[in-house]
Amino acid sequence: MKKQKNDKLVFWLFLAPALISFLVVVIIPFIMGLYYSMTDWTAIAGVKPTWVGLENYKAMFSDTSFRYSFMRTFLFTLLSVVSINVVALTFAFLVTREIRFKNLYRAGFFIPNLIGGLVLGYIWQFIFKSVVPSVGALLGIEAIENLLILADPNWTLFGLILAFTWQYAGYIMMIYVAALLNVPQELLEASDIDGANFWQKLVNITIPMIAQAFTITSFLTLVNSFKQFDIILALTNGGPTAMYKDQVVNSTELLALNIYNVAFKYNNMAEGQARAIIFFLVLSIISIGQVYYNKKKEVEM
Amino acid sequence: MKKSLALILVLVLALAMLSGCSQSTSKSEQTVVIYQNKVEIGEQLSAFAAAYTEETGVKVTIKTSGGDTPYAENLKAEFQSDRQPDIFVIEGMGGYNTWASKLAPFEGDEWIDLTSLEFAVDGKVYGFPVAVEAWGMAYNKDLLGKAGVDPATLNSQEGYKAAFEKIDAMKAELGIDSVVAMAAGPDMRWVTGLHNFNGYLSAGLEYGDTTVLDKMLKGEPDMTRLTEYADWVELLFNYSSESVLITGNYDSQVGQFATGKSVFIHQGNWIDPWLMDNGVTFPMAFAPHASVKGEFDGIFIGAPSFYVINNESQNQQAARDFLNYMATNEKGHNYMVNEAKMVPAFTNVKLTPSTPLSANVSEWLAKGTAYTWLQNDMPDGFGMGTIAPLYESFGKGDINKQQFIDQLAGKIIELK
Amino acid sequence: MKKKKTITTIVLQIITITFFLLTLFPFFIVVINSAKASLEIITDPIAFPAHWGQIFINIKTIWSSPSIRYASSVYASVLITVLSLISIAVFSAMAAWVLVRTKTRMSTFIFLLFICGLIIPFQVVMFPLVALFRVINETIGINMLRTYHGMIFAYIGFGAPLAVFMFHGFIKSIPVELEEAALIDGCSKPQIFFKIIMPILKPIFVTICILNAIWIWNDFLLPSLILGVGQDIQTIPLAIRAFAGSFVKKWDLIMTAVLMAAFPIVVGFIIGQKHIIKGMVAGSIK
Repeated sequence: MKKQKNDKLVFWLFLAPALISFLVVVIIPFIMGLYYSMTDWTAIAGVKPTWVGLENYKAMFSDTSFRYSFMRTFLFTLLSVVSINVVALTFAFLVTREIRFKNLYRAGFFIPNLIGGLVLGYIWQFIFKSVVPSVGALLGIEAIENLLILADPNWTLFGLILAFTWQYAGYIMMIYVAALLNVPQELLEASDIDGANFWQKLVNITIPMIAQAFTITSFLTLVNSFKQFDIILALTNGGPTAMYKDQVVNSTELLALNIYNVAFKYNNMAEGQARAIIFFLVLSIISIGQVYYNKKKEVEM
Repeated sequence: MKKSLALILVLVLALAMLSGCSQSTSKSEQTVVIYQNKVEIGEQLSAFAAAYTEETGVKVTIKTSGGDTPYAENLKAEFQSDRQPDIFVIEGMGGYNTWASKLAPFEGDEWIDLTSLEFAVDGKVYGFPVAVEAWGMAYNKDLLGKAGVDPATLNSQEGYKAAFEKIDAMKAELGIDSVVAMAAGPDMRWVTGLHNFNGYLSAGLEYGDTTVLDKMLKGEPDMTRLTEYADWVELLFNYSSESVLITGNYDSQVGQFATGKSVFIHQGNWIDPWLMDNGVTFPMAFAPHASVKGEFDGIFIGAPSFYVINNESQNQQAARDFLNYMATNEKGHNYMVNEAKMVPAFTNVKLTPSTPLSANVSEWLAKGTAYTWLQNDMPDGFGMGTIAPLYESFGKGDINKQQFIDQLAGKIIELK
Repeated sequence: MKKKKTITTIVLQIITITFFLLTLFPFFIVVINSAKASLEIITDPIAFPAHWGQIFINIKTIWSSPSIRYASSVYASVLITVLSLISIAVFSAMAAWVLVRTKTRMSTFIFLLFICGLIIPFQVVMFPLVALFRVINETIGINMLRTYHGMIFAYIGFGAPLAVFMFHGFIKSIPVELEEAALIDGCSKPQIFFKIIMPILKPIFVTICILNAIWIWNDFLLPSLILGVGQDIQTIPLAIRAFAGSFVKKWDLIMTAVLMAAFPIVVGFIIGQKHIIKGMVAGSIK
């Protein structure tokens, strides 16, 4: 009897630090947020929020720029996931082959991941605005010299994806490297003897073996692309403008930035919170769906 | 039995956290905390505050956040924290409306009689003017002279048009990229959405006249004025360099002017320090904006921001004393004029600015004709968030002038 | 056959080197432009600097800049990162262990709650979090905003879900017999954890610390809300924002600031490279 009581005490004591902070920092604010999103909350201390029902949600969906932001976020996410995974896989293949200095290369590819989004945003802003035109001038190619990457919505999206890939591919590469090193060498050698070519080996041996890694990497890239904030803040700050349904919109004001701007720039905390809730719902659905789908695939393979 | 190392570590950690709490609760009670938004004067203001502390024993701490790190947002977080600032900054009616419940009025302070730019609502003085600033069309006197344009003709849209055409034809001769250094890109939304748009609100009207603004806040655009104003925007955009206009940042815009690659720049006297730092020596001055039809004889002069007193502060008197000292003591004048390179808003200041554009602002100020700053009285986010992107799209050619006018009018109607 | 292999290797080597240099190109840009004065950087951003000595002038400017406060920012970043890492790892391991070893409905529920935390994005809790911290200060009197402990507390909360999840998976694979034997020897439960389980957890411990270190060191949004921009306590990203975010963009100094911001963590990485790469590779496929 006493032992059982003691066990219970240990259970709660061991759990307390992590659980309390988790509850205070994530769960309680989450529930508060649900409530605030249905009020006219202003975040100014001492002002009591009043209940407005679904008004904030209605306002959000009737906002053209929000719908545009949604589409752009999906586009950015999709392209980033592809770009990062392709680059990361390429790097991973290269640094697991029999070449010299592969540890140096691994480290080199990984280093951009150590640079925070904010800092690298400033670096790339400088590259796109100053370095690219200068390189164009040096090469004598006028098209590059006059290329205003951060003036055109599509070029800017490309620029963001490039900067994000530069940061994140090295990290994703590490996961692929781990998976590739798990591919049994004997299997590859055996297939060599059987006369399998590079593609056959890739499709029949390597890809199935890294399917599990692929579930993780696509999850990570998906979620992190969807949530991207720091790089955008420093690199484009939402610009340049684009036209959408005859409205002028900010082409790289993706959801995370849109939420932030609505709350702070327009001083509309409650609607910003409502947008965050929708953001959460969409992100949960696609990320869980993605993992579920890939897990099923993994089993089939 | 011996405790495990990790357990001790955890305990130490917990203790460190607890001791951290008790430490920071009761400290810093007798200091005056100023939370301000001008990054460029942060250093000088801190030095002045330190000198003040030495003289009076009252500690004054300066905290700064500004530029495109949005001060207003940070200030909101500041008031959520446990150590609210004693003095903070508002930029006009917009800030007043947000913070009205937190403000303590000034009464009988000596500096009030020394300025006409204090921030007052219903007869009560709430804001101490940080400085006088002004913008207009700054021009390079040498280049303008070389092009043979008389600055006196720069007082109407027709005058500007003639001058721009003449200069544009002499581009190669003058060695310029474009006539005007103008920026409308994502980094520069304050130039278009606030400064340029203010011309629509106040150019040509008597100082303090808010009729156009009042109508706008009710959701009524003045279509004639708006159409004339769009001509002005078009004129500026047509004669500026595309790369600076669309993607340029502050550096590239001011840099174009500083390196003699443009004759005009759409900026204010705050660019002086940048020009001085980079060894610019050519003479320069301001000409009026011709924002709408008619003739103009003033530039936009105002106080960009005001120090206000937090009414929950424990140190209100000390905070007011500090501000009064700045306005009335010669050391305060020296700080404002010679250290921070500002144009003070007080009549008792004898020092004159040494930098060219600030000196020119003093001349315009003495002339007595000026147009009001109303850009800070617009609703939150309207200038930089709602309308500034329209300028960028117009500059890129995504929308034409008529669409620009219609959409601008549409955004104003939405304010209803 | 042999010859073909060598050619392939050479081609691969060349491709890899090209990618490697491209990856490092932005760093190269940062370094050469850190050694320029402001007009020089506008006129020619890809040339080598006229005087490399300028870099020391720029470093000195950043070092003494009142908005960056380099030394104190590095101190704050190191303190916050290290204390958060240890707390997240130790507390999460403790929680994961009792969650695995206690088979009740409650423990399952709590574990699932942590898993929910994995998919809750920061954006959805950030506004109410600040409000809640304010309430905590008003009711209990503990300052959570603008303080180190508030910041670290928040990191424990946000870091716990992933760490608990990873530890949970790992601890499940540790045979329970090990603990039963120790129990018979008269060890108490906490002793079992700290003496037997913790050492076994070391590899996963390292992985979790590395992942969190990169995150916390570079994090911007959370500290900008908890610590504020331009306040007494500022981490390196906040300092960079306070400096680079001003209207006046001095690219020469921003590049120097970027260089100095990246310096500590890049050096840290190069020193611990072997362990870090091993730790990441080991942890990432679990």
